[in-house]
Amino acid sequence: MLKIENLHVSTEDGGKEIIKGLNLEINAGEVHAIMGPNGAGKSTLSSTIAGRSDYEVTSGSIDFNGKDLLDLEPHERVGEGIFLGFQYPVEIPGVSNLNFMRTALNSIRGYRGEDDMSAADFMKMVRAKAGELEMDMDMLKRFVNVGFSGGEKKRNEMLQMSILDPKLAVLDETDSGLDIDALRIVSEGINRQRRADTSILLITHYQRLLDYVKPDVIHVLADGKIVKSGGPELALELEEKGYADVA
Amino acid sequence: MEKSIFDTYEEQLKSREGSSEVIDTLKRELFHQAKTLGIPTRRDEDWRYSQLKAVRDKAYALPVQPADAPPVTPLLDKTNGTLVFVNGAYCEKHSDLSNLPDGVRLSHLNNHLAASEDDRAEALELGETSLVKLNAAMMNAGYVLSVPAGVTIDQPIEIIHCATDAVEQALQTRLMVQLGEGAAATLLESFSGDNADYWTNAVMQIRLSEKASLTHYKIQNEGLNATHTSSVFIDADAESRYQGYNLQTGAAYGRAEHHVRVLGEEADIRIDGANMAKNGQILDTRTHVDHKVPNAVSDQIFRSVLAKKGKSAFQGKVTVALDAQKTLADQSCRALLLDRTAEANAKPELEIFADDVKCSHGATVGELDEKAFFYLTARGVDPDSARQILVEAFAADTLEHVTDDTMRDLINGQILAWMAALKED
Repeated sequence: MLKIENLHVSTEDGGKEIIKGLNLEINAGEVHAIMGPNGAGKSTLSSTIAGRSDYEVTSGSIDFNGKDLLDLEPHERVGEGIFLGFQYPVEIPGVSNLNFMRTALNSIRGYRGEDDMSAADFMKMVRAKAGELEMDMDMLKRFVNVGFSGGEKKRNEMLQMSILDPKLAVLDETDSGLDIDALRIVSEGINRQRRADTSILLITHYQRLLDYVKPDVIHVLADGKIVKSGGPELALELEEKGYADVA
Repeated sequence: MEKSIFDTYEEQLKSREGSSEVIDTLKRELFHQAKTLGIPTRRDEDWRYSQLKAVRDKAYALPVQPADAPPVTPLLDKTNGTLVFVNGAYCEKHSDLSNLPDGVRLSHLNNHLAASEDDRAEALELGETSLVKLNAAMMNAGYVLSVPAGVTIDQPIEIIHCATDAVEQALQTRLMVQLGEGAAATLLESFSGDNADYWTNAVMQIRLSEKASLTHYKIQNEGLNATHTSSVFIDADAESRYQGYNLQTGAAYGRAEHHVRVLGEEADIRIDGANMAKNGQILDTRTHVDHKVPNAVSDQIFRSVLAKKGKSAFQGKVTVALDAQKTLADQSCRALLLDRTAEANAKPELEIFADDVKCSHGATVGELDEKAFFYLTARGVDPDSARQILVEAFAADTLEHVTDDTMRDLINGQILAWMAALKED
């Protein structure tokens, strides 16, 4: 599904190197978690996969299902099946959440040469999926993320993920700022997206999300490189000993 | 230079004389006022952000009517009346007054002025610039739309101003709209034209009696080589309501002014609008709401979207007289620059003499929100559409109080068309 080889990424102004030779391979059906201390490059990695222009890839490659991801614009990557769950979902005043999601879905369908989904079918789908995430319709009619609590924003991210149904979901600190109930709801959303034909990359600080979403592989990212990989037991070890000792 | 322009206009004025002694005298007086004031320059405080160069550099000719009035496409399907002006003159062929409710009348402004000394005195007082004076002096015919007390016109009245082949001609239209006590009406006024270099100089005078209500949409979509100057003067009596919306997308140079005199308590004034300028266009908005009495409300929301050397200015003035206590006046003006070549100016002015009022203003100039832009593209929306969505959302602030879906769609459609054209340029 995703193959990253010897990736080097710097800040846009060509200044600081943040990712320093990263290798990562995720196969279909797998859930990987990347953990690491602040400043290790976790968010830079997710932004680079999504195509944010603040970062510059200086060398290395990212292959996504046989395509050179670095050749594609952000919206094209989404069309190919990549979804980035934002650590800080953006508020967009003046744009209704429903219209936003419908535009996004139909943009992707257009990219894939499919027809737009009808308004009626779309509403039916949204109602069902919003119900699963315990979101009421009022939240959907409001402007995108405007006035949403932290938990509502993350649930909204999960709703978008569910509607866009990506092949690879990269979830950047989706668990941050969630209370216990919201964490459960969001985790259930992630688990529903977990299938034999999809992959998920969780980027997280803490072990607690991994109690709900069991990863197949855990990687430790430190100073721009993956310094250790292992099974679920690695998360417990990290929790116990801290990053410094494990990495 | 200016002298020769006014010499030409004076000759034109002579050719217009002869209808009646009173009107001729009035027009001559107005003309001399105009000549004394001269065409505004940047030295005039209210014109410091833009040059009315075309109008200062050459004299425009009197308009010529095309032999065949071109077909006119109304913006609305359902109206209670359509008034069409071609090259500044009323076009009977395309106008339709058959659905006006009983008592609603369209009459000649000259008859009105000839009959009323008060109206003549007011015509002489109206306007701070030569443009308004020149309009009154040079108009070939003005009209008065009167809605009697208690009459509500259900559907909008569409007023279409179109210019065709009016090369270097000045189109001076003048309308007076009078709403009697408790009367209600909606006007949709549009200005459009071909690629000729013409000058529209329009004046509308609105008189709202007690409890009258007027909703007035104005869409300036002139040809891109045209100059557009227009002024709306509103007198609002007690408990009357004026809701204006002013969209400018057309003309090489466009300037729309609103002047409101709040004369009665509990009057409710709203003027919203948007300027969309690109390819070197200059679009200005100037408003003045003069609160002369207590307990009235005025609110203004303006947005400018600017690209490719487009330039705009918003000058909003609110004056509150000494005894106009409990006035609520609000003003918000924001500009969005789509690239670094565009320019926005904002000058809110508050002159408050009363001590128990709530008046506020806010002005910002910014660029497209990059975070929001990335968020949209990270959901699969292509960059052009993402930009369009954000511009539409920005301009949508001005539509908050446009409750009529047809009008909302119409204005939004113009904004989207502007964005679509921007992509093509």
